[in-house]
Amino acid sequence: MIKIVSGFSIPIGPTIALVNLCNQLNGKEHHCILYGPDNWHMDKCKSAKINEFHPESGDIIIVHNIALFSVTELYHLQNKIEELRKKHISNIFKCIFSKHMHWLRKHDDIKIVLSCQENDLFPIRRLNYTMFDKIHYVHSWQVNYHKLKHDHFVCPNFCNPLRASEHKPGKVAGIIGSIRQENQTDLSIEKALWDGMETVILYGYLKDPVYYYKKIVPLVKKYPGKIKYAGFIDDKQTVYDSISDVYCTVCKPWSFVKKECLMTSTRYHGPDISAMPEESLTNHQIVNIWEKELNL
Amino acid sequence: MKSFEGDFYKLLALLRGHKPFAFNRFSDGELYILQNKELILDADQVKVGENITEGIYKTEDFKRFHPEEHSFYRDRLVDAFKFTKRNYFNGLSCRCCVGDENFQWQLDFHGEYDENFTWANLLVNGNYPKFIHEMYPVFYEYPTVFVCNEKADLSVLPFLVKDFRVGYNAMVQDYGLIEVIRSWISENNVEGHLFLFSASSFSKIAIHQLYDYCDRNTYIDVGTTLNPFMDMRIDRTYLKSFWLGERGKDINKICIW
Repeated sequence: MIKIVSGFSIPIGPTIALVNLCNQLNGKEHHCILYGPDNWHMDKCKSAKINEFHPESGDIIIVHNIALFSVTELYHLQNKIEELRKKHISNIFKCIFSKHMHWLRKHDDIKIVLSCQENDLFPIRRLNYTMFDKIHYVHSWQVNYHKLKHDHFVCPNFCNPLRASEHKPGKVAGIIGSIRQENQTDLSIEKALWDGMETVILYGYLKDPVYYYKKIVPLVKKYPGKIKYAGFIDDKQTVYDSISDVYCTVCKPWSFVKKECLMTSTRYHGPDISAMPEESLTNHQIVNIWEKELNL
Repeated sequence: MKSFEGDFYKLLALLRGHKPFAFNRFSDGELYILQNKELILDADQVKVGENITEGIYKTEDFKRFHPEEHSFYRDRLVDAFKFTKRNYFNGLSCRCCVGDENFQWQLDFHGEYDENFTWANLLVNGNYPKFIHEMYPVFYEYPTVFVCNEKADLSVLPFLVKDFRVGYNAMVQDYGLIEVIRSWISENNVEGHLFLFSASSFSKIAIHQLYDYCDRNTYIDVGTTLNPFMDMRIDRTYLKSFWLGERGKDINKICIW
């Protein structure tokens, strides 16, 4: 059984990627289940809550965004995630001491893969990454960023099909991605309005409400009637059909936003990232990579 | 087993499935009116029955209910409270917020236990983050109508097709608006719409009468939950914790039945 476990299952990019991975693997008759602590993933793929996760002999476990320091912790994952969410200080010490403790890596009958969907939001270097059999990166840019000498493979996330919209609105900007300081949503809004956009719609999970209230609400008052908040919308086609332009400030080479803009004839305004070969892979090729890397 | 989180997801499933329902909420203010106690909420005083304390309210929250003068409106509130219909969810003030005695009073006053009883606080306290993250985005799937205070700025909400405004003490001052909304529904053959209400006690009476009239729309009393998007005050503890990061117990509070 392939078991994907994630430190969160809220509707943001990595969760969507893991849902797609789970569905694609099940589509190829590999039994896969996604476990998460939140609820959003529950009706999106074969899934369960994190408290139902139990490692079993022969399992392949894909771990995402859980700062594990030993295999033993996999057996108490719900507690571990709750502890991490409280940002308990003991975790900092565990991270410092555990990364050199190779004896903690004892899991002969299960394979553990770390799926890395982030950069600075989940710095692998601070973890006991040696406990993982392999590290999965979604873009080769991450390999250079994390600079780890450990067995790894690069495989992009699956991309959902989108079509060019027939009736695009004029001068409606979309800002796609979770609302948080790290994504600099406020800068993207200002950029769009300076460019003469008449409306800016925020499509994303409200990861940091305090940031929204501090940085976005003043902009709502500064530009009356121009900024709207939609939240995370499942149906990406609906999102792209409602906007003419996309604005983005932070460089995330693995993000699909630029590619999706191309598919939907939406103008993209954001960091110009040079294309890497893996970006042109089809979903069929991507699932083949997973099969090879997991020895399925 | 009834649970605060479970009931939230029950309503969310209906909303996602585009199955019409009504969620009405009878909080402490409505409880006092149902109990036929004089109620004054204003800047100078808060009067509940014989109890008078210092006033803390701003204009848009002013409320005045006098049992004799306003008996007609109290009767309509009673109608809303006692109404039962498929998918009409009646949110009661819970025992952890108003005490055992008041909670039991509501059940006795209603007369029979309704399986659609739920929490008046279902969208707030410990469920508020779920409301913002999981329920709010579903509003985008609906042509949505908002019934709210005249001071609210609705420009941030991208899903609105229409709004109706009320002033202060709307239950009394704006009662006629219910007929205006009903006519609008009728004349425009409005079905499959979502109606959100943030209009204090007026909401309760309107939701009952409109759902009774047309149960092919969904009606939700959102209370103060969307205030941060409407340039309205966020003085409730759960709002301050969520939006300002202030310490407070309400944002983690799981109300009990």
